[in-house]
Amino acid sequence: MKTIDIIHDEHRALAAVLQALRFVVGEIRAGTLQVDFRLLTAMVDYITQVPEKVHHPKEDHYLFPRLRSRSPKAAALIEILEDQHIAGYCMTIDLLQALIHYQSVGAAGFAAFDALVQPYLDFNWQHLNQEEVELLPLAREVLSEQDWTEIDTAFAANFDPYAGAEGEFKELFGRIVNMTPAPYGLGPAG
Amino acid sequence: MAELLELENVWAGYGDAVILEAISFKLGEADSLALLGRNGMGKTTLLSTLMGATRFKSGRMRYQGQDLVVVPAHGRAQLGLGWVPQERDIFPSLTVEENLTVVARPGPWHLKRIYDLFPRLEERRANMGNQLSGGEQQMLAMARALMVNPKLLLLDEPLEGLAPLIVQELLRIIGQTVSSGEMAVILVEQHAHQILPLTRQALVLERGRVVFSGASETLRKDRTQLDKWLGVGAH
Repeated sequence: MKTIDIIHDEHRALAAVLQALRFVVGEIRAGTLQVDFRLLTAMVDYITQVPEKVHHPKEDHYLFPRLRSRSPKAAALIEILEDQHIAGYCMTIDLLQALIHYQSVGAAGFAAFDALVQPYLDFNWQHLNQEEVELLPLAREVLSEQDWTEIDTAFAANFDPYAGAEGEFKELFGRIVNMTPAPYGLGPAG
Repeated sequence: MAELLELENVWAGYGDAVILEAISFKLGEADSLALLGRNGMGKTTLLSTLMGATRFKSGRMRYQGQDLVVVPAHGRAQLGLGWVPQERDIFPSLTVEENLTVVARPGPWHLKRIYDLFPRLEERRANMGNQLSGGEQQMLAMARALMVNPKLLLLDEPLEGLAPLIVQELLRIIGQTVSSGEMAVILVEQHAHQILPLTRQALVLERGRVVFSGASETLRKDRTQLDKWLGVGAH
């Protein structure tokens, strides 16, 4: 079940960036950190690109169809998760637009960006949690060895959450780690 | 895979107290071992025993075919054992670069390669050890162990107390080090799910005794035993 390791791994990488985003935005709101648009842009870039290009396609194209075909019980859950993938993408685009606005107008744009961040984080925590608590245990229960072999092969052929096709996400993740202020990252504390 | 390390029926501890009982395992060159167990089960004591920092009671420890027990603690690093202790033990009054170069030994790991792996350390090369954040200190501790050009790298809970973002970055670097095949690695962690995918073998300790010794892949799939030995959240 290499697939489950890969999903856990990608969830951890995304969750780490989401947690760092919450910290950074909270510090800006509290006035204890100067905004660094390079960092915010890198974070939003990561949470836009990695789910869309790396994480969701594997689930949508390989895991969900096989699970749906094996368990009627899974079908309803998968429908919810697929809807969440679409809704999550729309929320990410809204976040990106708010960030562009914030960057262009300066401090006056923070409130609108901030207002989107917390619902975005809540939504994603809930989504990740639902996959971890409901989807993966169900998949373990109903998929056969043969199913896992085929899904594992398809997953293994895909990008990993840090590397991407040409190592771009590894570099992006590394930049986020280096720019995020300590103790959440390696950057200078605000 | 040629054999690098063999422990046979090792008993060790501190003073009169026996912590490790009847420990046996083998490790090949370029092999990797996840050393797992709850707090206080003897993981750090086992690494300390390999480094000669405990009282060895009985058994056999062979490293590259030679008796490791008779090698004094200071001689074990020269044999190629690199240790990253939990406390990190970096030199606070030396710069990052001095911390690295003061321990350097000839081999494939040199300053440029270290900076390629840890670009953050290159940015901080002129900073003193005590000016680094916790995550930077952990990176420096790992980098310093690599500069020794070890044949066997011992990492004691390298992820402990670090934020998830830094944990993920360090896991990636540890994964790279393990898969490079240039050294054997023993990795102590409480969070099995994070390190079992990186290692070939696993050893689980309970009250100083081995309760599992086998393939990491086998342990990773055995959720019942993972729960029993390491607690919920281990997978």
